[in-house]
Amino acid sequence: MGTATGIIRALNSGIKHIATKRFTLRYPEEKLKFVGDGYQFDPSTGVGIAGLKGRHMLFHDHCTGCQLCSIACEGVAEAIAMVKVPEEQKQNKKSIMPQIDYGKCVFCGLCVDACPFYALYMTNDYELSSFSKEGLIYTPAQLQVKPYVAQDSEIQISDRGATHG
Amino acid sequence: MTFNLPPGLALQKVDERIMTLNVGPQHPGSGHMRIIVQIDGDYIVACDPDPGYVHRGEEKMAEYRNYITNIPHLERPVIHDSCNVLYPYVLGAEELLGIEVPERAKYVRVIASELNRCIYIMYWLAIYGIFLGHSTMFMWPAGDRELLIDLMEKMTGARVTHAHFVPGGVRNDLPPNFEDVCLRQVNYFEKRIKEYAAVFYDNPILISRTRDTGILSRQDAIRYGTTGSVLRASGVDYDLRVKEPYDVYDELDVHTNVMKEGDSYARSRIPWLDMMESCNIIRQALQKMPKSGSVRVKLKPNPKTKGLESVYKRVESGRGSLGCYIVSDAKTEPYRVKLSVPSFRNLIALPNLLKGEKLGNMPSVYWSLNYWPVEADR
Repeated sequence: MGTATGIIRALNSGIKHIATKRFTLRYPEEKLKFVGDGYQFDPSTGVGIAGLKGRHMLFHDHCTGCQLCSIACEGVAEAIAMVKVPEEQKQNKKSIMPQIDYGKCVFCGLCVDACPFYALYMTNDYELSSFSKEGLIYTPAQLQVKPYVAQDSEIQISDRGATHG
Repeated sequence: MTFNLPPGLALQKVDERIMTLNVGPQHPGSGHMRIIVQIDGDYIVACDPDPGYVHRGEEKMAEYRNYITNIPHLERPVIHDSCNVLYPYVLGAEELLGIEVPERAKYVRVIASELNRCIYIMYWLAIYGIFLGHSTMFMWPAGDRELLIDLMEKMTGARVTHAHFVPGGVRNDLPPNFEDVCLRQVNYFEKRIKEYAAVFYDNPILISRTRDTGILSRQDAIRYGTTGSVLRASGVDYDLRVKEPYDVYDELDVHTNVMKEGDSYARSRIPWLDMMESCNIIRQALQKMPKSGSVRVKLKPNPKTKGLESVYKRVESGRGSLGCYIVSDAKTEPYRVKLSVPSFRNLIALPNLLKGEKLGNMPSVYWSLNYWPVEADR
């Protein structure tokens, strides 16, 4: 193949893409769709349930204050601290619950694997930016809230190429 | 002997003509490492790669953490190839802890590993494109990589650092309907990367810049101990997935791509061919995978090894053979973890390849070695 033919073929290959659809998505107007409600773990079988590893969610009625999540995080990120909860929120005998610092968390989900009481799961919430370092520390009361995550965009493949439809 | 020079001319000593040039460690063309190049005009006389700027002490860190908490930090050296970096450690830990992995988990691992290999090669290819001034080849792989990152996100819950492999299998089962989505996106991905031939690999500009530059002969490739795509581009048929099959690679049909030239062009083309082979392996694995069954053996929270033992396991990563040597002493933490990384082995060939080359060929030769600075320093 000659040099001229090669260059023309290369240009032609690029020109064809003018007619294809745009692949990128317009964040934050469009957001990606995820599988399920986030990463969860079933301690009875020892196998997790697929989902995005985003912000945690703590079920206060299940948490016993056993500190296993905090121990699992030692040596990984040390993001989980066990803090005293106020008297009116008290659910367990020790009245301590995990508080997670998202400035340190690496979202590996090993704390979820460590929880034997179905108390700590992860959710699809990934927009955790904050103006201050303190804003990244989520108290047990904040972790209790189930986040609302808009999901509308998924990769669609057609004859005209792939797009986030 | 003395001779008279014409007026206006002066003799210059050879030492004065040679200039030392530091490429890196903050240069975008080198990554987090320095290449000390000595040039005579436009030609490279000598070259001394200087790695070590991003040493993180991963091996020492592994001695203070147990077999499970080692996982998130051991995948950090190459985050976009994180499943393959973790693979030898997990295989070794399984042997030390005496765990038999379920059949389905092995197939899930193979799929994750092959998807990750493609993600790594696409990232590498994007940087190779922009090194050679080909902006389209930067944008296309960076965009098409998203197809596979989306699959990994569905599978593992994380886009880049998955922490998916654990001693005893994988962390979670595949999501419902994953096989269909995976097959569709991998098929489209393969169709897409075939288009790279016209725009990049058959492009006469790329061929003229990479053909016959940095030739590594077959003997030298073996003598320096290079691995992976560098070795295969020099005509050595060597792929650990075929030669030392781990997990279920012995049940899959893996074809090794070999090229004889040993120049930068061959080294850049082999990873591209490997991606197509990965697509084949993923399709085979999806077909042969047991449709149901456990994917993880239930372990005690803090597993302990039996006694003073050592194990060496290696896998074929995106860059070449990646080994992990673990010594255990009947504790919850390993006594020693040693990573034998392909990047460091491939770098050894660099001074020999660059000698006599033009300085303009340096980026194309250097990045074709499939070198990732952070992994070499670990």
